[in-house]
Amino acid sequence: MALSRDEITEKVREALVDALGVDEGEVVATARIGADLGAESIDYLDIVFRLEKAFNIKIPRGDLFPDNVLTSEEFVQNGKLTDRGLAELKARMPYADLAQFEKNPNVQDIADLFTVEMIVRYVEGKLGGAGA
Amino acid sequence: MRWIWIDKFVEFERGRRAVSVKNVTLAEEHLHDHVPGYPLHPPALMIEGMAQTGGVLVGEAFDFQEKVVLAKVTRAVFHRHVRPGDQIRLEAVVQGEVRSEGAGIEGRITCNGLLVAEIEMMFAHLDQSRVPLDLDEENFVFTEDFIRMLRMRNLGQLPPPEPGGA
Amino acid sequence: MRFFLVDRLLELEPPKRVVGIKNLSLAEEYLADHFPAYPVLPGVMMLEALVQSAAWLVRASTDFEKTVVLLREARNVRYGSFVRPGGQLVMEVEALDVGRDSSRFRAAGQCDGQAAVQARLVLEHWNVADEDPGNADLDDRLRAFWRERFRIVGGPQALTAAAGT
Repeated sequence: MALSRDEITEKVREALVDALGVDEGEVVATARIGADLGAESIDYLDIVFRLEKAFNIKIPRGDLFPDNVLTSEEFVQNGKLTDRGLAELKARMPYADLAQFEKNPNVQDIADLFTVEMIVRYVEGKLGGAGA
Repeated sequence: MRWIWIDKFVEFERGRRAVSVKNVTLAEEHLHDHVPGYPLHPPALMIEGMAQTGGVLVGEAFDFQEKVVLAKVTRAVFHRHVRPGDQIRLEAVVQGEVRSEGAGIEGRITCNGLLVAEIEMMFAHLDQSRVPLDLDEENFVFTEDFIRMLRMRNLGQLPPPEPGGA
Repeated sequence: MRFFLVDRLLELEPPKRVVGIKNLSLAEEYLADHFPAYPVLPGVMMLEALVQSAAWLVRASTDFEKTVVLLREARNVRYGSFVRPGGQLVMEVEALDVGRDSSRFRAAGQCDGQAAVQARLVLEHWNVADEDPGNADLDDRLRAFWRERFRIVGGPQALTAAAGT
């Protein structure tokens, strides 16, 4: 399935518009799924199902939106990610841009990493890898 | 008035698809308010019928151990009106697969083969954070009464849905 | 149980917005099933409360012209906190467009300051005679019925309250 980045972006946009009820115009690359597009916890699962269907891929729990990093004691202390937590997050989200986040790794800011761009890169990674 | 908006299951395939039916009858009180002199089965109660059909489909996948509740109605579009004497057929199909975090279903309601509504919805499990601790043990969503009334112990004996539906 | 989900209109500013309330009481029998030992207002009843609030805005904006106002589409209906017996749902509905035959809204319900429900709604409006000719007299009776209910739910006061703010 050799989809171009534009084609992937278009399908991701469609999935977000359907799941979140936002206008197409709001779904820009830097838009944060939560803060900008209004996604709440149940919406993340809806997005996962729609992406699975649109791209014929499997997205295991926590693969796209890592949730366990937020709660585990070894990764979080005083609301910030520990070094191990940061390493774990990097390993779990190789497609995310963590440069800014690293400077002040507050757990509550992790959600800001979930942008449209991040999802597109994740899908690219899943499709470009060894088969879908 | 009972809060049960489906009457029985007619097709069932664990974790994948289920079909229920609901009879609409003048014996139902709400029809006399909605609308006086011109009874119409309310769209919101059709959404609930789909939620109960989908909720049982999702709940059964966990042997009714989880308190499955409606978390979101992504879209519900109504095409036709439903009246006393009609029987509607509610078909729920799991999106992808049922997961421990929740599930999504795509639903279609038909009457005599004609499309009445298309509904997409998501379910979540009610956990301790939203329910008082002393009630956590009970499954008040799937009670013995509910299971008995909808004959849910027989679901495994029902035929699986035909591809494409009616 | 009576299928009226708006107990009182608080503010009514046709064709722009409406605010109404629904009280929840253990007297409502269906609560015994939803759920046993943990009664809460069902999500679709919160949705219906929003729909009926929007319907009042339609009627007040169109001089009660169409006698049947029905939900045609609901999108992005999301639920937050529960409404429990003794609690009150406050419905706030903002019209995006009110036409003769249909209307669109952004609607939200709160209980104790917490978001309970939000939704986007499309309603359809028609007369019984449109679907079933020969029912003009029923439509007349329905118009009178809705005007009377408008009085019951404090419609005239809600119009004044909105004008005053």
